[in-house]
Amino acid sequence: MDNSSVSYLESRKLVKRWSGPIPALVNTIIIFAFFYATWWIFQDPRGIMRMYTPYVGYMVCRWLLILFIWVAYIFDFWPFKRSWLNKTHPLIKGGILTLVSVAAMVILIKGFFIEILGNYGIAYFNPARLEAMGITDFYAIEYAAEAIMMFAAIASWLSPSWVVACENAPWQKLGQPARGITIAVVTFFMSMIVYFLTMHSHMAILFYPWQKFTAICPPYWEEFANTVSGNFHIAWIMCCTVVVWLFETIWQRYPFNLIKNNALRRLASFFGIIGIAVALCFFLYYAQDLVWGETIRGTRRLMAPDWRWLHVGEMAIFWLVPSLYLTFYCNNWPTKFSRPVNVCIRTLLTAAMAAVVYIIYYKTSHLFLGTQKGFSHPQQFPMIPMIWLINIFLINVWFMDGWPGWKAVPKTEAELEEVKEEIVASDVTWTSKLAKGLAVGLCIGVLLYVAIINILPWIGANFTIIN
Amino acid sequence: MSNDNKNISRRDFVKGAATGLVVGAFASMGMYSYTSSAYSRLPKVERKMEDFGACRSIRVTNISETSWFNNAHLIGDIHAAGGLLVNQYTLNWAPFANGKGSAKGSYEEGIGSIKELLPHDLKKAWELQKKLALHPDNPGGYSCLIEVEALDGTIHKYLLDTGWSYEWMEDSFKREGIDKMLEEQQIEALFISHEHWDHFWGLPVTVKYDNRIPLYVHDGFYKEGLQYIKDSGYKGDLTIVDKPITQIIPGMALLKFDVPIINRVFGETSLAFNIQGKGLVLISGCCHQGILKFADFAQANLKYDNDRFYGIYGGLHISPFEDWDPKYDDLVISLGQWNFERIGCNHCTGHLTAKKFIEAGYPVVRGSARFRSASKDYLGNGDKISFGC
Repeated sequence: MDNSSVSYLESRKLVKRWSGPIPALVNTIIIFAFFYATWWIFQDPRGIMRMYTPYVGYMVCRWLLILFIWVAYIFDFWPFKRSWLNKTHPLIKGGILTLVSVAAMVILIKGFFIEILGNYGIAYFNPARLEAMGITDFYAIEYAAEAIMMFAAIASWLSPSWVVACENAPWQKLGQPARGITIAVVTFFMSMIVYFLTMHSHMAILFYPWQKFTAICPPYWEEFANTVSGNFHIAWIMCCTVVVWLFETIWQRYPFNLIKNNALRRLASFFGIIGIAVALCFFLYYAQDLVWGETIRGTRRLMAPDWRWLHVGEMAIFWLVPSLYLTFYCNNWPTKFSRPVNVCIRTLLTAAMAAVVYIIYYKTSHLFLGTQKGFSHPQQFPMIPMIWLINIFLINVWFMDGWPGWKAVPKTEAELEEVKEEIVASDVTWTSKLAKGLAVGLCIGVLLYVAIINILPWIGANFTIIN
Repeated sequence: MSNDNKNISRRDFVKGAATGLVVGAFASMGMYSYTSSAYSRLPKVERKMEDFGACRSIRVTNISETSWFNNAHLIGDIHAAGGLLVNQYTLNWAPFANGKGSAKGSYEEGIGSIKELLPHDLKKAWELQKKLALHPDNPGGYSCLIEVEALDGTIHKYLLDTGWSYEWMEDSFKREGIDKMLEEQQIEALFISHEHWDHFWGLPVTVKYDNRIPLYVHDGFYKEGLQYIKDSGYKGDLTIVDKPITQIIPGMALLKFDVPIINRVFGETSLAFNIQGKGLVLISGCCHQGILKFADFAQANLKYDNDRFYGIYGGLHISPFEDWDPKYDDLVISLGQWNFERIGCNHCTGHLTAKKFIEAGYPVVRGSARFRSASKDYLGNGDKISFGC
């Protein structure tokens, strides 16, 4: 096996430029400075471009995320040559790849969604059409941006899933750009189907009278979700988006990579991610009910089921930030134990870190991000700054090889073999002791869950995050 | 060898246990969290049934519900300034305009241009501000007069909110005789529902006629809002409401809700009444907390006759810019379950919402669409509604 037979990201190893925690500290400081500067320029309601309206800003950071995934994961940096990627200075490489992604994003949003789909397909993708039909310009833009953004939300689950869970099958042997185009088209098509099943009815309800002849209104999920809002779908779709990355990073594709059969492993991974995401989604919804009391259908903000579903997705994204940070900047610590133990520790650690990030965000974001104070303001979307930050992580690690704290060196043959071990693991085999351990672990897991749901009402009664 | 086997066995056990822990936790989440048994564990909310007395009847006069005259101008200005999170005092609207344009206003510069004129020469102050402000003819305001008949027949008068445009509110106060009532100190208090421009910025109009009227504001008011109270020439007894329930007179309570609101405003206060023999009446300025949360809070905390929701009046804040969201339909669908007998709504309720209420068969009291109110679907300027009379 040589470096050219695997993707660029798999072919390189990121090596610290300095010992100890210095690289992580330096990168963290630079990333946060860049985050704050770009937030002020592009997003901050008090800043220069003020795209956080919120949906315009949300649409942009979501589609940027997708474009980064397409460039690095789906197209493996095509049309840029491997030699260019290996030799170019990370700053130049990062700048060019980011600008290319931004250009592609603008073409996609403006060209495809607004001009083509909005003019010849579905009017709500084009704000000018909505405005011409009598909707206030602000809401015309926001509604169109919401629709375009939701496409990206679905794609940001399906696109990486096809690479991580399905291992690019059945097109894994195709060269670029054939493989990239095929997977992008297929996942885009699948996103469209999921969009129509989950969000089209939501968009249709925005317009009076309900577009009953073109969308299912009231929608099929009404009774189950206790709302006609599509936020119910945002909940599980956002959890899918997060779980696919947990699966790839802190879980190292465990435990589904124990399955040796290719088709079975890929199917189990793809649907396993959905299953885990739905479990997480239900728990995060229930957790809110335990802390804040049961929802009241039709009310607003904190007590409304539609907001609680949305907040499920918001809470999930808080988990993604420390998970990616741990993987990218802390070498996926810990790594010294067996894979299951590492995975278990990372899961518990990142979940705890997510809670800390959540508390810090709600206590302080209104002061330095220009967002509204409170959990549930309609213009308060923590997903936007979180994804903005994640985008910067990705630019730094994918496009800039972790510069300045890290540099890329080619992996040795032995290290490349470890890549295969990620896909099909052989370090856990079935024994009677493993079975006993599993049974004990399952009981502890159930008890942990029971303990958490018993603690949450007490937390709700005794802790105040925002005064 | 045997030690090696023990080690391997122990490692296998730990690997299994670590895997099982994560799997067990996620499996429990998925299999239990959204089940009926999980919800049967939740404690039933105990109703506190706080007795706040009763009154005989109330009558509400809509002084003005038209907070602005053109949605496109209002939301366009907000949009141009950077969206719904931009600080209201920087929007460059009268009376805090400085002529520097969108989002470049400031409380200090705005008030500096008119402070000396407040509250005695509001006409000149407003004229000055109109030259500096964006869309100077757009402001209107929200304000209503609430007349409460006590059980002994005494009539208590209160103002809820004081509108926005000095010009429009002066005219509206004169039209309904509020100026005289204030001058004669017939009105016992002014409640500001929240700090927004259309409910609060017309404060000098009230102060002009009665600068000592007891004033109640939410404790979420920003320093600019508190300073404006002083700069308006107010000399009376200011109450910063910091308790969830404040009884005003028997049968009348002020309820406080800590809720984030657009353009950096925080917190809303609304009114609840217990009409003897009838039930609960809820009156709001904008109801940013949501009418159902309002009703739910009242049900959980207050004691009222017949244990029945009787009436609503005010802005219900559903589609103030004639925008829509599926969650608003949740409200339209579920409001019926609360069985209100009379619904008097206007202002930020939105015409579309009123239309949907009527289509749903709810007992909406319709209006006369006078004095620049735009629709008969809800109670317009100068219209009255009574509860218990």
